[in-house]
Amino acid sequence: MAGIRFFTLLLAALIGLGALSNMAAAQSGSSIPYFEENILHIPRIDVEGFGSLKLELALQDESTLTFSLLSAVDADSSLTPGATYDLNSSILSVPLVQADTEFYALELQLQPGDLFQVLIANETVLTGQQEYNEQCASCHGVDGQGAAVAVSLVNCANCSSADILGTYIENVMPVGTPDSCVGNCAADVANYILTLFQVDDSPMVVQTIDAIESLSLEDTLRKASLQLVSRLPTDGEVNQVASGGENGLRAVLDGMMTEDAFYDRLIEIFNDLILTDRYLTGNGQFAEAINLMRIFPDAFWFGDPRTAERNAEYFSNVVTTNDAIAREPLQLINFVVKNELPMTEILTADYFMVNPYSAKSYGVFDELSFQDEYDVDEWLPAQLNDLEIQTRNGTIPVGDIPHAGILTSLMFLNRYPTSDTNRNRGRSRVTYDLFLDVDILALEGTRPDGEAVDISSPAPTLDNDDCVVCHALLDPVASSFENWTENGFYVPNLPWYDDMFQAGFAGVDRPASEEPTSLQWLASEIAIDPRFDDAMVRLVYNGLVGREPLDPPGDDGTDAEWDAYNAESVHLDELKSAYVADNQNLKTLIKEIVLSPYWRAESLENESFAIVHEETGAARLLSPEMLHRKIDALLGFEWRGPLDFYNITKDIDSQARLLDDNQFYQQIYGGIDSFVVTERLTEPNGLMVAVQERMGNELACYAIPNDFLADAEDRLLMPYVEKETQPIGNSNQSAIMNNIQHLHSHLLAENLEIGDPELDATYDLFVAALEAGQDAIGVTENGDLPFSCRRTRDLITGADLASPLTADPDYVMRAWMTVAAYLMSDYRFVYE
Amino acid sequence: MKRRTLLKTLTGIGMAGVLPMSLVRPAFGATADRFLITISATGGWDPTSLIDPKGDAPRADGLGPINNYSASEIKSAGNLMYAPYSNQVEAPSIESAGHYDNFFEKHHERLLVINGIDTQTNGHDSGRRFVWSGKLEEGYPTVAALAAAPFADQPMAFISNGGYDFTASIVAPVRTASAATFNQLAFPNSQFPADPELLEVGFFTETQYSLVQQAREARLTRQRITESLPKRQKQMDQLQTVKNTDVELQSLLEFLPEEVSSGLAGQGEVAVAAFASGLAVSANLSLSGFDTHGDHDLDHTPTMTELLEGIDTLWDQIEAQGLEDKVTVVIGSDFGRTPFYNQGDGKDHWNITSVMAMGAGITGNRVIGATDENYEAFKLNPSTLQPDDNGIIVTPQHVHRSLRDFLGIQSDLDNLFPIAVESLDLFG
Repeated sequence: MAGIRFFTLLLAALIGLGALSNMAAAQSGSSIPYFEENILHIPRIDVEGFGSLKLELALQDESTLTFSLLSAVDADSSLTPGATYDLNSSILSVPLVQADTEFYALELQLQPGDLFQVLIANETVLTGQQEYNEQCASCHGVDGQGAAVAVSLVNCANCSSADILGTYIENVMPVGTPDSCVGNCAADVANYILTLFQVDDSPMVVQTIDAIESLSLEDTLRKASLQLVSRLPTDGEVNQVASGGENGLRAVLDGMMTEDAFYDRLIEIFNDLILTDRYLTGNGQFAEAINLMRIFPDAFWFGDPRTAERNAEYFSNVVTTNDAIAREPLQLINFVVKNELPMTEILTADYFMVNPYSAKSYGVFDELSFQDEYDVDEWLPAQLNDLEIQTRNGTIPVGDIPHAGILTSLMFLNRYPTSDTNRNRGRSRVTYDLFLDVDILALEGTRPDGEAVDISSPAPTLDNDDCVVCHALLDPVASSFENWTENGFYVPNLPWYDDMFQAGFAGVDRPASEEPTSLQWLASEIAIDPRFDDAMVRLVYNGLVGREPLDPPGDDGTDAEWDAYNAESVHLDELKSAYVADNQNLKTLIKEIVLSPYWRAESLENESFAIVHEETGAARLLSPEMLHRKIDALLGFEWRGPLDFYNITKDIDSQARLLDDNQFYQQIYGGIDSFVVTERLTEPNGLMVAVQERMGNELACYAIPNDFLADAEDRLLMPYVEKETQPIGNSNQSAIMNNIQHLHSHLLAENLEIGDPELDATYDLFVAALEAGQDAIGVTENGDLPFSCRRTRDLITGADLASPLTADPDYVMRAWMTVAAYLMSDYRFVYE
Repeated sequence: MKRRTLLKTLTGIGMAGVLPMSLVRPAFGATADRFLITISATGGWDPTSLIDPKGDAPRADGLGPINNYSASEIKSAGNLMYAPYSNQVEAPSIESAGHYDNFFEKHHERLLVINGIDTQTNGHDSGRRFVWSGKLEEGYPTVAALAAAPFADQPMAFISNGGYDFTASIVAPVRTASAATFNQLAFPNSQFPADPELLEVGFFTETQYSLVQQAREARLTRQRITESLPKRQKQMDQLQTVKNTDVELQSLLEFLPEEVSSGLAGQGEVAVAAFASGLAVSANLSLSGFDTHGDHDLDHTPTMTELLEGIDTLWDQIEAQGLEDKVTVVIGSDFGRTPFYNQGDGKDHWNITSVMAMGAGITGNRVIGATDENYEAFKLNPSTLQPDDNGIIVTPQHVHRSLRDFLGIQSDLDNLFPIAVESLDLFG
């Protein structure tokens, strides 16, 4: 009997409340009524005379299945009504109630005392539910939240429409046996997933996002400017944002994204994951990139390394050419973004990038029209046609190379090499990770934990279910690399292994006719897979926010974690939609992320959201490279030691304190070399704090005298005071306070009103330092600046200054140096 | 407990990135006097070219030979067998401390070799993870981080030189550079940190600097109180925790050699100096260049020489500081290399590998485990540690179970990252 069945369910619910708790989170954006913890939730019911209501009915008597009305409040009008109430018969009909993973159709009769008694409780099956539970749930979970072997389906990449998801299921799922769910099965399962597992603009999502209080647009502009183009915004840009609001900011960002500095930053963002900068000079073995392409006859176009004179010009050419070759895949990304091409072009490009130096090594220089033969920053697309390579046995014709963007990049293929036993599976894993947002390694949960997998069958990757789970995904992509050797060269028609899944992607076999151009075919398939867009969102979000998007919290996730995940996921879907709608233009994605509350998060509306927003915000410990550029932007010089020698040190790479990893701090401060060290440190340690301290001290010493060399209107730091200004009299005191206010704003993006305790604290430091210093003059101190802080030479030319700045008779500059040291080791300086 | 739950727990106790000492019982008292160094031969070394030699006998399946030297040339030092050099390449200088003959003659009495370890993978990332954390899947910290976690309040508790240095936030990894850098950071107010006579000449006088330091500290406290964004609150907590720790880098300088070496040897010199000065508890050292898919003998030999030279320098430093009874050194790699050469004279990835250990607590001149003529692992009897057809295949899980027990990493911290296999007495 249905009633007994429902009663049984209720008892089960009472026992297994913990198991149900996750469902509530997944349902927070759903219109479907659900039963949880003895409460029947009806997100929306329209009742004549009462409007749209959200009802909660509490189970009061198990024996009679009687509920009492717990609450009735206005419902979210965006939801679909999930129940009806007949005023004549006083019957509440709920055609679909979810209880754990089961569904019921309920009818409840209003009884005296505002009680509702269950009349009918029929178990029902949602269309697609049975197929889902049979074919999908073992990997994705009955609740769709994923498990060790499969991703969460909550707002999944292919979930943008029933058509897209249905087609994907038909072609790909279940992995390895896609034929087992096609046609109606695929369509029904798609509908079931979209009905049950998707959250959108539910009240909780809206509330969660609305709880974030964002930076002002002006402060957002400053932050974006420093992060994207390593400079402060111009007055014109500030005015444009002030007058144009968000669209004004978008326009300013468009302008910034034409600047060279933006493309330096873009390379950094992408390299943090692709890691091909391993081949830059200084990161790996010397001239490693050139050596990787030594079979190209002109690789060493500047001189045979066995015979050439090793003079300065030779080494200059080695380094310049090597770094041009090394940067090829990242320059392709720059080219695509700069020209606002769809990002899929980074895989589908039938060309690769060269500058004049690498063009000579590849032997394509004469085919291209460079404007300046010596301009390392001039990059052009090129193709390798009628290629011949140099071997021990002489020159061998290879023919035309079927370029497929990064996938066929020599640097990418060498960075992720293969072997006879690996069979391109490493390349496949990286392809999934970087371009499809799928972490194959996360699927390793099926491997028997700590015990050997049974590999006794002839081809376990084909016939052992434990292996097939991963290899059905991994191997078709791996086989698609079949024409590319371990050294990254194109050699078509080589025999390929028949004891593994053959080339293909997402359930589609690679057509035989595409065999020579296998990776071009793969690239075109990836380009139409919506997961590629997810991958780009993840990559750029990680680069700008400093962390990857939240993962589904999983079985032990709290409601707060689910709310956080759902809200961020919904929001990122919106950003992704804007990017996709603009022809997959990465600039659009960057603009939308910059404008999003997650990047602009400044504070929370109230503390109750603190647990939901534990990870919200783009506050991050600046990388050594970002900090290096920020210093230059704020002070007008880089951190390279005393400024009297800056005309020399500015041209020596190893003198950049935050970029050199040998004598200075790039590694200590958490930088990477893309080779041995590939993960940035994101949390400070004792040595990093020591770097911050030294940085604050040194920069203060250099910056204050340097600033006073300029006229007041040209100064970055000290526009309101002179180097003799002491806090004597209201006018001077006011000027000093105004300058302190300016320093907080300029160095820390902290816009404080006069009278703010923080300004007072800084003022007190200035006065205390000044008074202590003046007291010491003639005793332990003299009237000169510390040696390293003195300025006798021009910053850029090194020429002797007509009016050297070495004296500080009243200790004023040294007092300001204490202020600068205080501010330039501050949290707001080293974090952004 | 899952990793995320652990991190929540850590955050909950206000120590994101730092575990309280009480979570782990240190091996010998409350302050660290037992240290761990792990050395990663990154890329996948070839034990058959070092401490599990096979020779050039033809394989039954025709794939061989395993090595380009005769089995009759295989050498021994005490109970250790070691490979001769390939007949395809020139051996390193006999003067080199990394020459096999010199190295094993000098160190065999203190070396423990564990052969025939099945890493169950031939992927670099997963291999490194398994060999150094004991867990094939993601989420487990390197054992060096586990060793350092009880002393996470020391400024350089865990020194990382790259490789697998995931810490699960139980201790912050510290990266290092040259000796000159330590001078600069040990004396952050000095204008001339490299000049002993001018070391005291600061950018600020002591009085001024004290004012700056006090102001910095007070400001961070105020910022933390008024900050409302949880992420920034957490960052400020981390910053304050680290800033409140005395970084006595000056003491490190006292133990560094006049000229710090480059490469692996230099990594070892800094690590030992950090141990001796009480700043560090563990360190991972890393040397790459073992991923020899082409010209294996040619490329592997010099890298192996550099590895052994680095270990030799490390041991000399350990002895010079009188730490030989306190420092344990574990040497391993992502996995092994194929027991045959590919068409490019290279060797590809192979799941069987070896681990070496020396130093405090290690009984040397011992070999545990073995491999057959095709370089497949023999099963071991868990009690006798002798080959036994009814025994078990040793994996990095067993190595780490044993290593953790040996190092005294126990109870709560061990349980947070459980390794649930039988404990073999591999290191005792």
